[in-house]
Amino acid sequence: MTALLGSIIEVARFVAVIFFAIALLEAYLYVHFHLYDRRWFLPACVLAAAAAGLGAARLWAPDRFFELGLAAAMVETALAFGFIRLRGRYALAYMMLAPAILGLTLLIIYPLCFEVYLSFHDLKLTTIMQWSRTGALPFVGIKHFVKVFTSSPLSEVSFWQLFLRTIWWTFINVFFHVTGGFALALLLNHKIKLKGIYRTFLIIPWAMPQVVAVLAMRGEFHSQYGFINITIQRAIDWLPLLGKAGLHPIQWLTQHPFLTCSVINIWLGIPFMMVVILGGLQYGASAFQQFRMITLPLIKPVLAPAVTLGTVWTFNNINVIYLVTGQAGGTEDADIMVSALYKASFSFYRYSYSAAFAIVIFFILFAFAMAWLKWTRGTESVYERD
Amino acid sequence: MASVSLRKITKRYKDTEVLHDVSLDIADREFMILVGPSGCGKSTLLRMIAGLEECTEGEIVIDGAIVNHLPPREREIAMVFQDYALYPHMTVEQNMSFGLRLRKLPKSQIDARVKDAANILQIQPLLKRKPSQLSGGQRQRVAIGRAIVRKPKVFLFDEPLSNLDAKLREEMRIEIAKLHQRLQTTIIYVTHDQVEAMTLGSRMAVVNGGRIQQMGPPEEVFCRPANRFVAGFIGSPTMNFVRGAFSDIGEGPRFKDDVMSVDLPPLVDGELRKALLDGKPRPAVLGVRPDDVYVMQTEPKDAALATVEVVELLGHRKNLHLKAGKGKLLATVDASFAGAPGDRVSIAFNPGRLHLFDEATQERIALEARTAPRQGAQPTA
Amino acid sequence: MNETDARAVYQKALKAHRFRERAALAAVHVGLVFYVLLSVYPLLRIFSVSLRPGDRIISTDLSLIPAGASFLSYMKVLHETNFLFWLWNSLIITCATSAIGVSLAAAAAYAFSRFRFPGHKTGLTLLLGNEMIPAAMLLLPLFLMIMKLGLINTYLGMIIAYSVTSLPFSIWILKGYYDTIPKSLEEAALVDGTTRFGAFIRIILPLSTPALAIAFLFNFTQAWNEYLVARVVLTDARMYTWTLGLFELQGQYLTQWGMFAAASILVTIPVLGVFLYSSKWLISGLTLGGVKG
Repeated sequence: MTALLGSIIEVARFVAVIFFAIALLEAYLYVHFHLYDRRWFLPACVLAAAAAGLGAARLWAPDRFFELGLAAAMVETALAFGFIRLRGRYALAYMMLAPAILGLTLLIIYPLCFEVYLSFHDLKLTTIMQWSRTGALPFVGIKHFVKVFTSSPLSEVSFWQLFLRTIWWTFINVFFHVTGGFALALLLNHKIKLKGIYRTFLIIPWAMPQVVAVLAMRGEFHSQYGFINITIQRAIDWLPLLGKAGLHPIQWLTQHPFLTCSVINIWLGIPFMMVVILGGLQYGASAFQQFRMITLPLIKPVLAPAVTLGTVWTFNNINVIYLVTGQAGGTEDADIMVSALYKASFSFYRYSYSAAFAIVIFFILFAFAMAWLKWTRGTESVYERD
Repeated sequence: MASVSLRKITKRYKDTEVLHDVSLDIADREFMILVGPSGCGKSTLLRMIAGLEECTEGEIVIDGAIVNHLPPREREIAMVFQDYALYPHMTVEQNMSFGLRLRKLPKSQIDARVKDAANILQIQPLLKRKPSQLSGGQRQRVAIGRAIVRKPKVFLFDEPLSNLDAKLREEMRIEIAKLHQRLQTTIIYVTHDQVEAMTLGSRMAVVNGGRIQQMGPPEEVFCRPANRFVAGFIGSPTMNFVRGAFSDIGEGPRFKDDVMSVDLPPLVDGELRKALLDGKPRPAVLGVRPDDVYVMQTEPKDAALATVEVVELLGHRKNLHLKAGKGKLLATVDASFAGAPGDRVSIAFNPGRLHLFDEATQERIALEARTAPRQGAQPTA
Repeated sequence: MNETDARAVYQKALKAHRFRERAALAAVHVGLVFYVLLSVYPLLRIFSVSLRPGDRIISTDLSLIPAGASFLSYMKVLHETNFLFWLWNSLIITCATSAIGVSLAAAAAYAFSRFRFPGHKTGLTLLLGNEMIPAAMLLLPLFLMIMKLGLINTYLGMIIAYSVTSLPFSIWILKGYYDTIPKSLEEAALVDGTTRFGAFIRIILPLSTPALAIAFLFNFTQAWNEYLVARVVLTDARMYTWTLGLFELQGQYLTQWGMFAAASILVTIPVLGVFLYSSKWLISGLTLGGVKG
């Protein structure tokens, strides 16, 4: 009981600290937005920042005393000119944005920069203690980037295998998500009884906690006690001819892990597409010609962003593959780039190597995204309709 | 209770200028109407007075103080919006007391004021309801109530009646007129409906293209429109315009187009009279309100000829759509007039109510007011 | 052809048409029922496993209600594992992240909805672009930061890691909703005497409760169902979230299958309930935020 109370207090204190930090930030912005036209504004800002920098240096990094003070003063000068240029306009807008921007900067932009730093230095299990004591790491140049293309991120599978497998994975998954979602949406689009109930049941794979859904599905692929093999075994028992014809229980998880993961992920992703497509459909289009002439143009505006989003999600999907194959001694035959990245980082502890690998993946995704955007003529037509 | 002055107001959005150098003085307790077609800048003007838009140049003065840099809440104004803008999550009472609660007035005083306003507007039974449970007219009353409980220096109305149906609009128009008599405050009222403009205001400013075209009491704007735009915008049905030319060689001005020639009252402007002595006709537009077109079924030899095209019965009046030469004319005559489509008729204009506009500048050319006996329009010689 | 003949032909055609229509409808139902079974079956199977008596956890039995059904597995998962701790950990982490995430998003979305400040369009595009960054990519530096701050195995580390993951999406949903609230409401409030921020607090926020609920729910489900970050940050079995615990139960020995199934059912039922109850709004929020912008 006291443990529970303690945890509540701990978290509440943390949230309070966050809100206090936000209040400080807002006070800083308020002063800058409202006093920008005073004559003493610029010198005061620079002096205050320098003092803050020196103070911080005294507390945390006495060996960098003047550097920190100077850096703070310079950053503040640049910012202060920005405030003077804005002339107090949009004060509220920026003040309301500031906490979110701060959060995104600290937790997305800074980590990305840190990742770039890591990729050119050498952090692994043997250097991690040194790093956490001194904060310094040996510089190794592009060694890790070279390694990404020449050695395996795990133990066997090569980068190019992963690359091709990722594309294949993304393609078949999205393809079946859309076709499956389409088929179900067209079925549901009839004027039928129990429509609401069907719809509710059909989105259950999406609504379930993904961990439960994946683990449950994995259970069904178990070689002995999974539904599929039980069914196969019973079919053989019932009609031995089938067994002679070559049907036999299959080691899904070890021999066909990629197929297993794909089936599970397709099963998981169909309901989302179904819902999106259903949202864009209307009654009355069922014949093929109508389908091509009316239905497709009708749902294109909802389908295009959903497919974009779905592609990115699938490309970045670690959950399914890791939950199915992630345990010790698991296979590498189903891994795509991101899941290999995750395993390389946290099962093999190759930090710097993983950072370089991550940056390569990011650029691959970026290139695909640019090509895709060019092909669909930019985000504007889809997103900017206000 | 306060006066409002706009001094040389200009408003620019990026590179389009929507208001050009507008100046306007509104006296204490005046009911000022800003009227004009949609997109003319009248609402922008009102929103600038309210403080909802910044002015690019110029000054806004309320009660002697420049308020350009004050936010709306410090300007002591109240505003009634076109879509009423009632807060959907509050009851009528909370809506009305919102501004007072923000100003931390004592509860007893808030209640008294809300009750008072509710009495004036007859919405006491609605106080506990939410806006979604009210009809359009009731919402309108609540919106007005929310404004009057505040006892502001100036009331601003932004097309308050345009979302109501015709009958309700008429009722509310009268209510607002009564309200002004009762409250005796300065009201600035924006509308695109010239009937509201004519009936409600003690003065009106006709706005078009970001400029004030004319300002004055309704009867003056109606009787002596400053230019062709005002003449065409104010008055219903719309004024007839005949394009032609006029000349004056000393025997009084005369207007001519291809089918008729009309004798006009003397020109006011002496300079112009002198200049006209050269005998050259000046291109101009003659304006006649449909009420001032007289139609006779008899066909005297010297009268201008027209053909009746369509007859619309309005009740006690009739609209006759006439064709005279190439031009068209609308005449509003007594319902007893027995013309039928195809009839040939002669027409005459009320000479005391003729309006002459310069073809190039569109400005009014002043004619002496005259109540001479009616005079037929002559066929062009 | 005389009239009665024509009518007979017509009646026949009509009958055939009706028959075809009914057959088509039946086919639709068959198709839907088939896929509904496919959707629900894994959940039903877990349910049946969770009811199996202790000595028959592992079997090739396919019946839904097993012979000798009992709640033994439920008792065991509650008493013999840290399941309740896991649930509590998940709950407290999730609540804190959702509260932080939604309040940041609510304010930022208002700025995006109502002001056209320099950087407006860039900001919105970057928020969308953020979806592209692979989670695995951010995870490594985040993990190292959390480690360096000494926050491994703490709630704070988890809250930090989670707090902004749903932020871009929440901002999009809320901005979409704010855009539908007429501006005249705020203007009326301004004239009535609030500041701009006051109008946001007193008018916009109360009117946006449905969208705020969607955003909260989205944040909540994201954090509640998260596995990968938790696996890295939490190593102490007492600090596990339920997703980690569940993986643990299913992973090791087949004998724990009963407990795994029981725990799964216990966490799934409330999540499923909330999701299905709110799906209408969640979906409209998805299409509003993602499609219409």
